[in-house]
Amino acid sequence: MQRRTFVQSMAALAAAGALPISLNTVLANPASAVSVESLPELKGELTLYLGRGEGGLYENVIKAIEERNPAFKLRIRRGPTASLTNAILAEAKAGVRRADLFWAVDSGAVGMVTDAGLAQPLPTDLTGQLRDNFQFPDWTPVTGRIRTIPFNTERLTANDIPDDIMALADSDFSIAWAPAYASFQSFVTAMRILKGDTVTADWLRGIDARATKFAGELGVVMAVERGEVDLGLANHYYTLRLKSGKPQANVDLAFTRGDAGCLVNASGIMALTDNELAVNFIRYLLTREVQSYLAEEAYEIPLVDNVAPPAGLPSLDTVSPPEIDLTQLADLRPTVELMRSSGIL
Amino acid sequence: MTSKWFKRQHLVGMLGAVALMTSQATMATGAIGEHVNHLTDNLDNYSQEVNWLNDKVKAMILRYQEGGADEAKPDLLVEHWEAVDFHSAIETNYVPVYASIWQGLFGVKTAMEDNASIEQVREQHDLLEQALWQGLGAVKLAAQYQDKGLTEQVATAQENPTNSLEALDAIDNHLNRVVAKYAEKLPKEAVTIVHDTYLNLFEGVEGELIALDAELVEDLEKDFNVTLPQAIQNDKSVDDVRGVVTMMQGKLDTAASLLEQSAEERKDVF
Repeated sequence: MQRRTFVQSMAALAAAGALPISLNTVLANPASAVSVESLPELKGELTLYLGRGEGGLYENVIKAIEERNPAFKLRIRRGPTASLTNAILAEAKAGVRRADLFWAVDSGAVGMVTDAGLAQPLPTDLTGQLRDNFQFPDWTPVTGRIRTIPFNTERLTANDIPDDIMALADSDFSIAWAPAYASFQSFVTAMRILKGDTVTADWLRGIDARATKFAGELGVVMAVERGEVDLGLANHYYTLRLKSGKPQANVDLAFTRGDAGCLVNASGIMALTDNELAVNFIRYLLTREVQSYLAEEAYEIPLVDNVAPPAGLPSLDTVSPPEIDLTQLADLRPTVELMRSSGIL
Repeated sequence: MTSKWFKRQHLVGMLGAVALMTSQATMATGAIGEHVNHLTDNLDNYSQEVNWLNDKVKAMILRYQEGGADEAKPDLLVEHWEAVDFHSAIETNYVPVYASIWQGLFGVKTAMEDNASIEQVREQHDLLEQALWQGLGAVKLAAQYQDKGLTEQVATAQENPTNSLEALDAIDNHLNRVVAKYAEKLPKEAVTIVHDTYLNLFEGVEGELIALDAELVEDLEKDFNVTLPQAIQNDKSVDDVRGVVTMMQGKLDTAASLLEQSAEERKDVF
């Protein structure tokens, strides 16, 4: 069984300071990030629908953009991403378009809006700033996150963990997971797309037989760290944050290879009205300054070039995220139905 | 730098710790009347209702003294309380006292149903009366707060917290509602509020907080997911549940201090 990559010491990671080779393959040939100094001043008013998340760090970015552009005013409607997605779809059905911009915390929600034909095309000089696999005609990812397998370092080494997410269902590991959590459901959606419903249902039932459920994925990582279980299923940043607050924490990260278990997902923004000001607002989010801020403060992965990854980003030399169109992750309903029929939810 | 959270705490302190709740709050007993948006205009009505309610309880105690619980009909206590507008005025403005009122109502009711001595029943009534007048005082202060045009601003911030500090503020209020619903003898609703508060509010805070104090987050995780739900489900007393909530609110204060300090030290975006 092939060994997995894992989190090295924080010092070693900081020294490494680069994305892993395989991730770089996925993120190949990016254009350079631009500085905010090169952007036009924003003037006018826009309405943004903002998905809740990241403890207010997105709000800090917005506030900084407004302070830098005194002639610019942003009206913000805040709420859970899923609720705002439904609001946008309902408004469109009623012939109303209240939002100029939609900033969602997950690409699945983005897909629901783009599939409905509500997103405006973006100029290629803007989308071209993103790494190759993250360029889309009518929306742009802002930052990324990776699915991981946090494991307890007193019980396991990275070599003990299979590099195939499907193999976990046949293992003897005790597992922590958060099936009701949105990121987990996007991961299951990716598995459905890659492996089909029957295989995914079997996998869910196999994991469920030895799994402990948690409400959120930070709870998953904490249970792993306490040794309540051998390993868990969670986004990367929960482990990095825990290790930041508790450097001696008994948890590291492992990654599967080329499957849903190492899915790279992203938050995303789109313009809902044909409006140059909205496009220019998006340009601010892709600047070197904003991307660095979100990497350093939110442990998210910058998706433009020449921006350092977050401190503590695991060395992912052998990780190969699956090739999947992120907007396909919008197809959540059959995922939830599958999880319910499998007795998971 | 002084945060919005601390500004609000200061303001609340000046106004006698009137903890304003969102006007969109839903009551177990039905929709909140429009009167809660015009507190000053309704203060006389609320005062009359408190007097009316106290008179009802006194009459009930007299009947209890003469004929016991069958004669007193203590079930009417809840009906009387739910009939008054003051009910929603206090629920939307000062949940800690709202919980105490329910605790007092059930204190009197349970004492009668348990055939307690008249002294014990009167003792419970004293607690209820004290809570009612304290509640009326809180509503009067909230009316001043409302007249200054400040309540809507606070309600908006609580409805959609824009950062972790505002989220902690909202969590604090939700926990007060947990005690209130438990005091209303609505344990399932109380547990639902605990779970929803964890998922919708605390989950958004703990990622940031764990990088500052992992042990504090572990403590609060246990409080939200084990200690508080179990205190409710194991039928602990209202004071016991309030004790758990008070302990959690102390930890949330610590969390707020850490987050405040972190926000001050955070790098600028540009």
